[in-house]
Amino acid sequence: MSPSTRPTEGLDRRGFFWVGWASIAAASAGFLVSTFRFLVPNVLYEPPSRFSIGLPTQFPPDSATFLEDHRLFVFNGAEGFYAISSTCTHLGCNVKRSSQGFECPCHGSRFDDNGQVVRGPAPSPLSWYALTLSSRGDLVVDLDRAVGPDFRLRA
Amino acid sequence: MADQVKATIGQRVAQWFVAVRQSVWRIGWPRTDKDRAASMISSLFLHIHPARVSRHSLKASYTLGLGLISAVLLGILTLTGLALMLNYVPYPSEAYRSMKDLQFAVTYGVVLRNLHRWSAHAMVFVVFLHMCRVFLTGSYKAPREFNWVVGVALLLLTLGLSFTGYLLPWDQLAFWAITVGTNIAAYTPIIGDRLKFLLLAGHAIGSMTLLRFYVLHCVILPLAMLVLVSLHVWRVRKDGLSGAPATTDTVEEAAGGFPASTKTYGLMALTRRPTASVEARDPNDEVFAWPYLLYREALVALAVVIVLHLVSLVFMAPLEELADPTRTPNPAKAPWYFLGLQELVHYSALVGGVVVPTLLVVVLLALPYVDRDPRGSGQWFAPERRVANAIFTTVVVLFTVFTVVGTFFRGPNWAWVWPWQ
Repeated sequence: MSPSTRPTEGLDRRGFFWVGWASIAAASAGFLVSTFRFLVPNVLYEPPSRFSIGLPTQFPPDSATFLEDHRLFVFNGAEGFYAISSTCTHLGCNVKRSSQGFECPCHGSRFDDNGQVVRGPAPSPLSWYALTLSSRGDLVVDLDRAVGPDFRLRA
Repeated sequence: MADQVKATIGQRVAQWFVAVRQSVWRIGWPRTDKDRAASMISSLFLHIHPARVSRHSLKASYTLGLGLISAVLLGILTLTGLALMLNYVPYPSEAYRSMKDLQFAVTYGVVLRNLHRWSAHAMVFVVFLHMCRVFLTGSYKAPREFNWVVGVALLLLTLGLSFTGYLLPWDQLAFWAITVGTNIAAYTPIIGDRLKFLLLAGHAIGSMTLLRFYVLHCVILPLAMLVLVSLHVWRVRKDGLSGAPATTDTVEEAAGGFPASTKTYGLMALTRRPTASVEARDPNDEVFAWPYLLYREALVALAVVIVLHLVSLVFMAPLEELADPTRTPNPAKAPWYFLGLQELVHYSALVGGVVVPTLLVVVLLALPYVDRDPRGSGQWFAPERRVANAIFTTVVVLFTVFTVVGTFFRGPNWAWVWPWQ
């Protein structure tokens, strides 16, 4: 076939290679993205984020109870129940109760009784989580529902 | 007749053994300088050395042998690490039991674990010193800019390897150091939380985190290390051993010819500039790598192995009680090489956790491309480099002070304590 009779329509050799390289690049990109996605877990075998902590009567009035396994302080105050996380917002250590509120052993952050930052490197207050009553009358904590420091549950 | 037959059989057997040996070692044990040089070039393992090296780069007072010591430590870590892997189960409760077994039940387990631990600490320290040496002798300048970049990557890999290894014992020390460390990573803008989620394979440290750190520590990062160390050494060979003082012959440069050094040595003439010229400006200033370099290397390796073994026999690697996510030890500290950062993080998480480390890495990577002044390369504290050296030394001293403060002067609640209290 002489150059003059070569078909100009359709895919020529250069175009074919272009499509070929583009396909290989697209397939490689797809492979890399999927492999990266493979590393992000879809199922977590972690404790549930919504759980019962027992009957309200287990928490005496004007008390602060530390639930070690849940890293949670549960208060039964004059106005009702509320729950504050013990996970320091700085670098994830467990804060401890002190006479003024809470303090973190790792980097010395201090929080007041409401978990608001008083001193130290913590960038934000301790998290407050919503409390509800289950149908059986149990106190239920929902770690997926953050609430403000004016939250109280009357039970 | 019988004697003749015996002699022939003997000769044939001997010849057969010689042929076998020659199939493995073509040259055999070299007895002349020429054979030794040929061995250096024809052996896969020896040819990472040049056949001849300048006296300048051999001086212990010049390089301090820090790159070599790092390589020896990497070797010790690889061997002891492989051994430890055979007695370790990367699952939370099992991991801690493995540690206890290594400590009390497995023959030689405690020494291997100590060796691994102390070599890892030593490697972080020595690699850091190596970087300081290269900076203070101006050895990152052309043509070695890229090798400096590879070196910075190797420093980061060393830290990464050490950090991922820190979690594996699954004791309180491990658990909380990694908690603090991964939370520092979470301060990275935009991707921080996702980065932490990816590292932990969840929201908190668990069995998947341990597996992830284990695979990173034992497979992925060591492979990256192997590739980059090979590249690092290859570039040293190609760009010349650090810091031959510049004695450029401008006439030769202009003519594009070979410098004087390459004309007398057939073996060196195989390679073209800048390879040969950087290593061998002046033939009278050179010695054969075998024995002058090889024996020194062997001696340093021996010394490192002996010292570490002694240290490992006397000092025990720490092992605290089983990791407990509900109880934070007071104070909770990151590994010592991150305590400078943790001290900064104590003032501001963003500054200490993100701004300072990012700046440090970016400046280190860009350094040889910003400082392009060729003067002052190849000698300690060159007067032409006074400003650069002063800035670098200040940063190193500051970082050291922060690290020392974080390590020795911080007690419960990160309050100031005196080390003797």
